Amino acid sequence: MDKCIACGLCAEKCPKKVDNEYDEALGKRKAIYVKYAQAVPLKYSIDAKNCIFLTMGKCGKCAEVCPTGAINYEDQQKDITLNVGSVIISSGCKPYDPGKHDVYGYTKSKNIVTSLEFERILSSAGPYEGHLVRPSDKKEPKKIAWLQCIGSRDNHLGANGYCSSVCCTYAVKEAMLAKEHSHDPLDTAIFYMDIRTHGKDYEHFYNRGKDESGIRFVKSKITNIVPDSETGLQLINYIDETGTRQEEAFDIVVLSVGLCIGEEAVQLADKMNISLDHYNFVTTNSFEPVKTSKPGVFICGAFEAPKDIPSSVIESSAAAGMAGINLMESRWTLTKTKEIPEEINITGEAPRIGVFVCRCGTNIAGVVDVPSVVEMAKKLPYVEYADENMFSCSQDTQDAITNIIKEKKLNRVVIAACTPKTHEGLFQETLTNAGINKYLFDMANIRNQCSWIHAKEPEKATQKAKDLVRMITAKVALHESLTEPTLEIDQSGLVIGGGVAGIMAAKTLANQGYHTHLIEKEAVLGGQANKLYQTWQGEDIQTHLAEMIKSIEEDKLIDIHLNTDITNVDGFVGNFETHINKNGTADTLKHGITIIATGASELKPETHLYGEDDRVITGLELDQKLIHHDETLKSTNTAVFIQCVGSRIPERPYCSKICCTQSIRNALKLKSINPEMNVFILYRDMRSFGLREDLYTEARTKGVQFIKFDFEKEFKVTVNKDQLQVLFSDTSLRRKMEIKSDLIVLASSIVPEKKNKLAAMYKIAQNADGFFMEAHAKLKPVDCATDGVFLCGLSHAPKPIDESISQAMAAATRAVTLLAKKKMNMDGTVAWVDQEKCSSCGVCVSICPFSAPSFTAEGRYEGKAEINPVLCKGCGLCVASCRSGALHLKGFDTHQIFAQISALDEFESSNGGQTADTPKTDKENEKDAATAAV
Amino acid sequence: MSDKKLKIISFLCNWCSYGAADLAGVSRMQYPADIRIVRIPCTGRMSPKFILSAFREGADAVWVSG
Repeated sequence: MDKCIACGLCAEKCPKKVDNEYDEALGKRKAIYVKYAQAVPLKYSIDAKNCIFLTMGKCGKCAEVCPTGAINYEDQQKDITLNVGSVIISSGCKPYDPGKHDVYGYTKSKNIVTSLEFERILSSAGPYEGHLVRPSDKKEPKKIAWLQCIGSRDNHLGANGYCSSVCCTYAVKEAMLAKEHSHDPLDTAIFYMDIRTHGKDYEHFYNRGKDESGIRFVKSKITNIVPDSETGLQLINYIDETGTRQEEAFDIVVLSVGLCIGEEAVQLADKMNISLDHYNFVTTNSFEPVKTSKPGVFICGAFEAPKDIPSSVIESSAAAGMAGINLMESRWTLTKTKEIPEEINITGEAPRIGVFVCRCGTNIAGVVDVPSVVEMAKKLPYVEYADENMFSCSQDTQDAITNIIKEKKLNRVVIAACTPKTHEGLFQETLTNAGINKYLFDMANIRNQCSWIHAKEPEKATQKAKDLVRMITAKVALHESLTEPTLEIDQSGLVIGGGVAGIMAAKTLANQGYHTHLIEKEAVLGGQANKLYQTWQGEDIQTHLAEMIKSIEEDKLIDIHLNTDITNVDGFVGNFETHINKNGTADTLKHGITIIATGASELKPETHLYGEDDRVITGLELDQKLIHHDETLKSTNTAVFIQCVGSRIPERPYCSKICCTQSIRNALKLKSINPEMNVFILYRDMRSFGLREDLYTEARTKGVQFIKFDFEKEFKVTVNKDQLQVLFSDTSLRRKMEIKSDLIVLASSIVPEKKNKLAAMYKIAQNADGFFMEAHAKLKPVDCATDGVFLCGLSHAPKPIDESISQAMAAATRAVTLLAKKKMNMDGTVAWVDQEKCSSCGVCVSICPFSAPSFTAEGRYEGKAEINPVLCKGCGLCVASCRSGALHLKGFDTHQIFAQISALDEFESSNGGQTADTPKTDKENEKDAATAAV
Repeated sequence: MSDKKLKIISFLCNWCSYGAADLAGVSRMQYPADIRIVRIPCTGRMSPKFILSAFREGADAVWVSG
């Protein structure tokens, strides 16, 4: 595998074609292949079942053409023993197979596809290169239907009772993308039971799909599709909202298949002795959401329950953190330190550039005339040495380059080869090993962006390779040695907010060995959890909360600050200073990282007679009654739960996620207190996502009545002769209904603090709903855009207790990855200010998303901008925006990019020939002036 | 048009479009060889000066992507 350079020659010559499983068998691959273009490591492997040589003993084409001798037919599967202290299982799920019990005709028509197949159809790297066509005849479709809950929320043979949690949102996404891909207006319809867009910002997405993209949403469970082989169309029958029977034909029908657990995962769990639930998901409890039944074994992702990417990523951090706590004592015991040679000071030297042009076997040399590129490079200014390599990335070539740098006293290096995205670090290490600064280097991309994409135009490709080498050589001549700023990290953490998330974050930090401050503005810990009765799994919240509070109160590494308010914040990642007011006394806390867990609260509604009639209560108030065993509940004859009070309305467009489950659980509780009680739940979409669907099923069998009301029509709570009445329109019966009730429970929304002062203090953004924004929903779901600040709990988005806890663990774990470094080496390519030129206009200060520029507080340059190199990400936004030309970006400075552009043409005809290492500011001034005059 | 040697300078963001240009190569897509790519750390780095400079150096078109 070390020898494979991913040139792809083997796959090109391999005669055996096989269905490509990555494209859901819609396209073909070879018997030697990479799973997909972005695979890491990018190495080809042989599919032994289909390889002609391995199955029949002849062929051997791949070994013949492989330029590096990487093919090894003898390679065998090996058993490897690893000694580990913790295990994390993240084996995931697989899509439901609709062909097994084929009630939808999936195997009968090519135009009935699963949602995953449709993803591949839409993908530009997929079987049709992103061109949206019907698989049967490659015609562009006019109408596409999505059928929800395929294999989910279905107790029939082969299907699963739970909700797969992700399919509603992905169907909306696919329909939106399909519309974007289509040249002609495309009609899209999603047939659903309940739209469950319960994740953060998903409801906005649903609204966009409905209102802006014009996706039709039809509430109807489709049980039969009739394919017509002559037209390639699929017929679907359904009852529309007016009660009329409809028949519609679609070009493509997409089955929104659910997630399920495969046999292999079950065997793994069995081998490891981990308990699974009746659906084969790993059993966990809400307070230890990543812990399996076996000590030391942790779980994350969809093997625990059906879940989306953000939740899976959050859980993966949480599981890593829990595994890390187990291994705390052995931390740093297996690390090795690398010896780095002393760096040669090149200041004042004229550039001596070495250009190494890679043949990459035949990958480059098969198209580009490499010797002529080398000859051209030799004639470029400051080039002392130019030659070609067979494989620049191989270890022996690396050593050879190191020696040449030393021998020829090179002080700049250009490698013309593959791409800096994968190989920059490797070649920079070569420079470091040769004793020169790693920033005296750049790459010309003559493989990925040249030979590979111009394979049929060798002459043009050679010309392009020459141009690219010339351009980058002109730039490298102007490169300078850069230092990487280092940052000491204060070894303690601050957690703001003493609710469940805050407690758990503090506990996780302390368990990892870090001193932690926990700030709570109220006099007690616990936050909203103090008012909660049970989790959806029936665990008693008060008992667990009391245990959690006790454990952090006893923890010597945790300082709890109650009745504490934050007055001001100074500093940045690694060195925060938070000024607090604790019971009237001012204090300052120093900490390296900050975790925000400030929570949210339940809306106190101003509708539905809430506050006017004490028989109208909120969900949390019912929880209180249940905690205190309220006697009046026993004598209640009728109870009505009203869902989405304050949520999913124009003023608050988001879904509060937890209320559907909370209402079902409490409805069941009321039924158990008084089985004769009439319990109604009036809803818009029932969102008992994931395994919570079981609770919904149980409630229906136990006689809780679920009625979908028409949100567009009148909805009123009135009192008539002291009798509470709810008036609404039933969507199924399409008529006005009235229920007389003794108790009305409002499933009231979760509201964040809209103008949270912490947002400005820690420079974290809030979304339109007032929830704090993560840096990236999927890639960095607990990090803030501001370095060193992390998020968890309700202040991030509405979520149930188990998700708050895993997010708190995840936030603390992400924080530990920073703290554990003790010192951070930042990138050398950062901005700097020529303060003589700065006009103090403040554009850089206001424009930087990372708060790196600020005004110098005192001294000769008071009021001028300065850059904190530790916070700078090197994007260059400030540099491009500076009106005075005072800002510069190391490694990508204006004169360097100009030099690159100027070398576009043959050297003789351009105005190149700039001298490097002369005072650059003058040179740059001329350039700037010249350009400004254009 | 087809005989004329075009010169297109493209400024691509290191994090997205430059990576996409790499991926086009990995996927062996084929497109005309008239583009010269300049890698920039972010399109935020893009200055109008670069575009003017590219035209001054004889570029027929400039493409900024990020």
